[in-house]
Amino acid sequence: MSLPVLAVNELAMSFGTLEVFRNVSFSVSRGETVGLFGKSGSGKTTIGKCIVGLERPTGGEIRVQGENILNMGKKEFRKLRPKIQMIFQHPETSLDPRMKAFENLIEPLKLHSGLKQEALLKRGEELAELTGLRPEHLARYPVQLSGGEIQRIVLARIMALSPDFIVADEPTSMLDVSVQAQILRLMQKLQRETGVSYLLISHDLEVLKKVCHRIAYLDNGTITSIENINRGVKI
Amino acid sequence: MSLLEIRDLSVEFPAGENTVKAVSHVFFNVREGETFGIIGESGSGKSVIGLALLRLLPANANISGAVLFHGQDLFSLRPSELRKIRGKCISLMPQNPAGALNPVLKNRLQIEEVFEERGIDKKEGMKKSLRLMKKLLLKDPEKLCDLYPHQLSGGMRQRLVACMSLSFEPELLIADEPTKGLDPEAKEGAVELFTKIKKEYGKTMLLITHDLDLALEVCDRIAVMYAGEIVELDKASKVLGTPLHPYTKGLVRAQPRNGLVPLSGQSPSRISLPEGCLFHERCRYSGIECFRKHPEMKNHKGGWIRCHFQSLQ
Repeated sequence: MSLPVLAVNELAMSFGTLEVFRNVSFSVSRGETVGLFGKSGSGKTTIGKCIVGLERPTGGEIRVQGENILNMGKKEFRKLRPKIQMIFQHPETSLDPRMKAFENLIEPLKLHSGLKQEALLKRGEELAELTGLRPEHLARYPVQLSGGEIQRIVLARIMALSPDFIVADEPTSMLDVSVQAQILRLMQKLQRETGVSYLLISHDLEVLKKVCHRIAYLDNGTITSIENINRGVKI
Repeated sequence: MSLLEIRDLSVEFPAGENTVKAVSHVFFNVREGETFGIIGESGSGKSVIGLALLRLLPANANISGAVLFHGQDLFSLRPSELRKIRGKCISLMPQNPAGALNPVLKNRLQIEEVFEERGIDKKEGMKKSLRLMKKLLLKDPEKLCDLYPHQLSGGMRQRLVACMSLSFEPELLIADEPTKGLDPEAKEGAVELFTKIKKEYGKTMLLITHDLDLALEVCDRIAVMYAGEIVELDKASKVLGTPLHPYTKGLVRAQPRNGLVPLSGQSPSRISLPEGCLFHERCRYSGIECFRKHPEMKNHKGGWIRCHFQSLQ
């Protein structure tokens, strides 16, 4: 059996004397969406940040393709980092406000792909098409875009690096009901096409039940149960 | 009797050489004691209506039409006359309670400011506010007054702003997106809060929201907005239970429990609006007439609908 894309074992986190969570364990396979459900302030976002290396947990391990990222050196982790990405809750602060949408979109390619200008622009256009962005969106500044359009650009930016795993932290909680459905369906389409895995963090159980293969329930600082959702076979 | 009557309200904003048509020819009335909801996606012009009523839009907005409050046109009032109405007769609960409060002032000072502005004794005002806070489901209001806004949860901040908006027992309360970004528990709390305001105070409310559950629970009648126009208007249970307009149907179907079916495409540009029906590019039922002719609002079984195929349902 192949290794899970992500395995979190007995993760613990405290800020000073305040314990946020302890004994948090779950795994995510290739092409799978695992939901992480909990109330506001339960530590969901902190778990997500630990996985992408934005916070350092106080205990436990996070294994990506079998390797514990907490034992990695900076250089080694930096190499792996494009493969694990995060979508943040607030679309309005996710992009550089001084760059136009297209510049924001191709920034990761400039840094990581080594593509020449022409190829870079072509790849940027492909990504825009993949995520349903229209040319007129790409010429605008983030402030001129709606929340849904920004989340599409965020997804295009992330897909530029062909990630194995995405932590999506409440990606639709600030969006309208119709736009929420569009973004979640887009995420499912990208999963079918690329086999990417998601950890979908949300406080909306209805949404999680609709799009996840499994849901982990976070309560009182620990995972109390993991539920299988019958949605057919995962990729 | 209508407390508020909106007649042919249009709002446009200049954008370089172009004009953004934010709200086009909106008609509706809000009866005394009624909770009237405006729903629709972001950018459909809902909040612009709320701000236009109190003349809080930026100076470059071109506004036409009339807003009658007790039969008096708010657009023809002098600023000094309008100040007597704002906050006292019509109060606005702004979108994003966190942004509505001053982060460097303790909550008590912010509540007192409301009374200070009106020249009312602060102590008397505070007593009244504390009573109101207790009624509006806030525990230990005295302690809460000594905290800063960032020390409150999203739901508590919303209640605090609600208390401030109700300080002068306004006749009409406008609540703009009161549940945006709140978690499900706080959302349930918001439903409870608005039901209480409605029942105990008998307030007339204009609720602007994209939260269909809140609208169904609290509103008596609902207007659905798309691209700056009202496309459907009827009793809340009818609009959200058996929607007629294809756009309303799409909104209901996009809810997770109804299948999470996304509406295809995006709202049209408001600078160059398409010909014909504004929704035809995204509509599953559109026919030739929809491309050619802009539909007018028509009376349909007691409600109003803007669709060429009002009977296709």
